[in-house]
Amino acid sequence: MSQATDLSWHQNIDENGSQPPLSLQDVHVSYRTRKGSVQAVRGVTLDLKAGESLALIGESGSGKTTLGLGIVRLLVETAEVSPGKIIYRRDGRELDVLSLADGPLREFRWRDCAMVFQSALNAFNPVLKVWDQVWDTAKAHRWNNREEVRERFLDLLRFVQLDPARVIDSYAHELSGGMRQRTLIAISLLLDPQILILDEPTTALDILTQRTIIDLLRRLKEDLHFTMLFISHDLAIAAELADRVATMYAGQVVELGPVEDIFYRPRHPYSLGLIRAVPTVTGGFEELSSIPGSPPDLINLPAGCKFHPRCPYASERCSNEEPQLERVGDNHFAACWHTDAVEEDIERNGLRVRRST
Amino acid sequence: MAPIIELRNVTKYFGSGRDQVTAVDSISLDIEPGEIVCLVGESGCGKSTTGRMVVGLLPPSEGQILYQGQDISAMDKADYQQYRRAVQIIHQDPYASLNPTQTVRQMIAAPLLRHQAQRSSGSANGSGRRERRRDVERRAAELLEIVDLTPVAEFLDKYPHQLSGGQRQRVSVARALTVEPKFIVADEAVSMVDVSIRVSLLNMLSRLKDEFDVTFLFITHDLALAKYFAWEGRITVMYLGRIVEEGPTPRLITDSRHPYTQALLGAVPEADPELAKKKVHLELRSAEIPSLLNLPTGCTFHPRCPYIVEGECDTAVPLLEHISDGGSVACPVRKSEPSLIV
Ligand SMILES: Nc1ncnc2c1ncn2[C@@H]1O[C@H](COP(=O)(O)OP(=O)(O)OP(=O)(O)O)[C@@H](O)[C@H]1O
Ligand SMILES: Nc1ncnc2c1ncn2[C@@H]1O[C@H](COP(=O)(O)OP(=O)(O)OP(=O)(O)O)[C@@H](O)[C@H]1O
Ligand code: SF4
Ligand code: SF4
Ligand SMILES: [Mg+2]
Ligand SMILES: [Mg+2]
Repeated sequence: MSQATDLSWHQNIDENGSQPPLSLQDVHVSYRTRKGSVQAVRGVTLDLKAGESLALIGESGSGKTTLGLGIVRLLVETAEVSPGKIIYRRDGRELDVLSLADGPLREFRWRDCAMVFQSALNAFNPVLKVWDQVWDTAKAHRWNNREEVRERFLDLLRFVQLDPARVIDSYAHELSGGMRQRTLIAISLLLDPQILILDEPTTALDILTQRTIIDLLRRLKEDLHFTMLFISHDLAIAAELADRVATMYAGQVVELGPVEDIFYRPRHPYSLGLIRAVPTVTGGFEELSSIPGSPPDLINLPAGCKFHPRCPYASERCSNEEPQLERVGDNHFAACWHTDAVEEDIERNGLRVRRST
Repeated sequence: MAPIIELRNVTKYFGSGRDQVTAVDSISLDIEPGEIVCLVGESGCGKSTTGRMVVGLLPPSEGQILYQGQDISAMDKADYQQYRRAVQIIHQDPYASLNPTQTVRQMIAAPLLRHQAQRSSGSANGSGRRERRRDVERRAAELLEIVDLTPVAEFLDKYPHQLSGGQRQRVSVARALTVEPKFIVADEAVSMVDVSIRVSLLNMLSRLKDEFDVTFLFITHDLALAKYFAWEGRITVMYLGRIVEEGPTPRLITDSRHPYTQALLGAVPEADPELAKKKVHLELRSAEIPSLLNLPTGCTFHPRCPYIVEGECDTAVPLLEHISDGGSVACPVRKSEPSLIV
């Protein structure tokens, strides 16, 4: 495959700066519906550190996309972000994202924090060619030097290993799923944002295509030190790309820690449950087990720990009192009353039960 | 034992003239009773087309499909009906395949009544209506129990929209079971449900194999799932309508021979950071999947294959050949070379 270009104009940010570029403080998001208020995100507090890639994992409906859209303020009108605070920092300045006016907000979305959406096809305007869409975007940000924009975009297409001649004058529907996803990533980098949010970047792509996207994202991470937030229901994306992982359940971050801690020393029963439910291809045959029951109704949430109706370790306390994230190791936090029981279980039974081949 | 399902050089064309594509290209496959066979491969390689032909929803353009040794296109009406009942399909999207206006009870009772009528036609006037209803109700409850929709009473009167994705898929399985099938084609049957629920669905399907001798053709694009579900069975890998490799699951996973299989296995993202780091990937010469409208000559994988032997691979179509370690491989160049992947 062709050699990739480097992005010379990319500004590396100071990874040793003390302040994280993005801080979420007790963020809540709810949707107004006829049946009541859907509490999609409940009290997420999280820092995204400079140069790190953080994966947000959890099952369908756990609030991952809602949180991502909340950060770039692209939620539907029926959604309300309150209470909560989202702070963005760059070059010593600090923005309160939730109170940005329209103009600065548009700038923020492209220059500071770009999002690649869950469904790649819907993100394109179907009647515009790729280049026209890029040029429109550039102009909207008062970047009117056509030659310069084109040069930059060609660079980006080469970086994502696409043939610029083939892509630039195509309509989105003329591109394969993998090409579309790479084109979207290229467009999101147009204004050299500091942070990239990628929602399900590989979902619905074929295996070989997934691999090329993962390799591309790894280059963004390792060579260009982008600060990235991955959103995925697929644990493998986290294992392949993340420095840190946050597990979400019913709108809350229930565990947060370095990728090795989450995968090898999980302390929340839900994280452990996910790990034990997912097979790997390499390695021997492993016994899998599923998590009983299904996620709660977000309109009528259960009392206490939201996982208690499905949790094998639940005690009386769990159905009455809701646990908060507490430190369980260096930089490792879990919201569970019985992390000891989880630790013991792993010690006794192993993380995954492997049968030799 | 005679195969329960046998495909002999089955080909399927779609479209005509210049737009004609060969979605399935002369594939042969024997499936023994009680076996689990997985069909894997990337989008568009012909998995669903194969599955639909096996259940009789789509006629092959060429070749034969045999059920218990009989060519389905040459069956008389009674045998054909029996085959259509015995071979059922479960689709990927339970939402699309369930009638939104019917309750679970209605969805399951209707085929049960039909099945019962078919079986008792011929026999004497049979039992009274009420008794038959009671039988059906009892059987419906049994089926829901088999698919783990318990307590049964809680589910009988629900509509599809009141069920989760996993529960809907269980209803589709229960509905397929109403006719006591011998063979089930599960086409991406668990792909749309959440990981936490997937395993229990798979285990439920395994139980049907153990307790009711159901044979499975399990279609998936997910190799890790195929490995888990068919560990004691076989995996068949398709590429652009052809079978490129086939074999007992442990051999195919740990010692694959066809470069395409190796590329797939190497590319699968692993839900384990150490494995993900250690894993060997097979670098391909091109990332692009050729169009079915314009297939490469010879081995259709040759434009992407790093092991290509120019002048050979691009001229002759490789045949599936048996290998001594189990199964067969359509690659004369690599069929005896141990895998570097895994
Ligand atoms: N516009 C909306 N109106 C009402 N409820 C919504 C809306 N969008 C999402 N929700 C609900 O909010 C919850 C969180 O949804 P969200 O899309 O954030 O989940 P997710 O974790 O991204 O799931 P997935 O893995 O399926 O993408 C779900 O229960 C969903 O049904
Ligand atoms: N009814 C049809 N008419 C025309 N072409 C069809 C038809 N059904 C399938 N095809 C084509 O045949 C090829 C094989 O399709 P098939 O659905 O069998 O693939 P698949 O392996 O099941 O893919 P996926 O993983 O996406 O489900 C594809 O190119 C598809 O576009
Ligand atoms: S708090 Fe209780 S119910 Fe919740 S995850 Fe921990 S043990 Fe389970
Ligand atoms: S036949 Fe040749 S091109 Fe095809 S897979 Fe084998 S080595 Fe590669
Ligand atoms: Mg989502
Ligand atoms: Mg299919």
